[in-house]
Amino acid sequence: MAISDAEGESPAAAKEVGGERKRKRLAERSLLAKWKTEGERKSYSSKLIEALRAAVATDCSRSRAVRVAADRALAVTARGRSRWSRAILSRRTLKLRSRARVARLKPPAAAAGPRAAERRKPPALEQKARVLGRLVPGCRKLPLATLLEEATDYIAALEMQVRAMSAVAEILSAAAGGGRSSSVAAEPM
Amino acid sequence: MSSRRSRVSEEEINELISKLQSLLPEARRRGGGRASAAKLLKETCNYIRSLNREVDDLSGRLSALMATMDHNSAEAEIIRSLLRQ
Repeated sequence: MAISDAEGESPAAAKEVGGERKRKRLAERSLLAKWKTEGERKSYSSKLIEALRAAVATDCSRSRAVRVAADRALAVTARGRSRWSRAILSRRTLKLRSRARVARLKPPAAAAGPRAAERRKPPALEQKARVLGRLVPGCRKLPLATLLEEATDYIAALEMQVRAMSAVAEILSAAAGGGRSSSVAAEPM
Repeated sequence: MSSRRSRVSEEEINELISKLQSLLPEARRRGGGRASAAKLLKETCNYIRSLNREVDDLSGRLSALMATMDHNSAEAEIIRSLLRQ
């Protein structure tokens, strides 16, 4: 199983002179970029395969099991660097995502009239931040800055998950549809 | 960490928000004009929801596909193509 451990931490980030914030920014950018590399996608794909094997064992609600397995594999690929991944891994059972139709309270004076001064952080912002906190696993009570960091990483990871799963689906449907096109080296009968 | 949220540096928040903006597909299309923070948060939430939906759809597709193939050949097929690329 080719688990590419090629990149590791970006060495360039450490060498940069000029303050911790700059270093941190560079490190973050390279962390986000990691989700786009082929290596990460393949590493995720191989974990996905193992996870799928476990998932299809159960008969009931198979697609739910696939989703759970795919998420776990994604969290493992994140290598524990982010809160959302640790939160996923510590989910014990199938998390049934209850789509609670909570009525979203519209802020009273938002609709008509001049836009309120954005400097002051109107409640609408806090509300949206809360919604975002519910969407990213394990991020309900975070301060806004941390929440935004987690969200950016989570989005990049989800995009990779979509790419990887699409690729796997293509492969499987090609195999299922056209029959086994490339035959394995036949053993001499 | 101070509890008064307005004290957290506005700069930091703006920085993170512009990073977020560069990730969202909508924002890229709009040509990079600065949208309000609330709008961006809302778009982020929508984007995450739509990504989740895609993953759910793909999970359904994968589980259906795996049902029609036997597991070993499914794995073999995936591994073979991973090695090929």
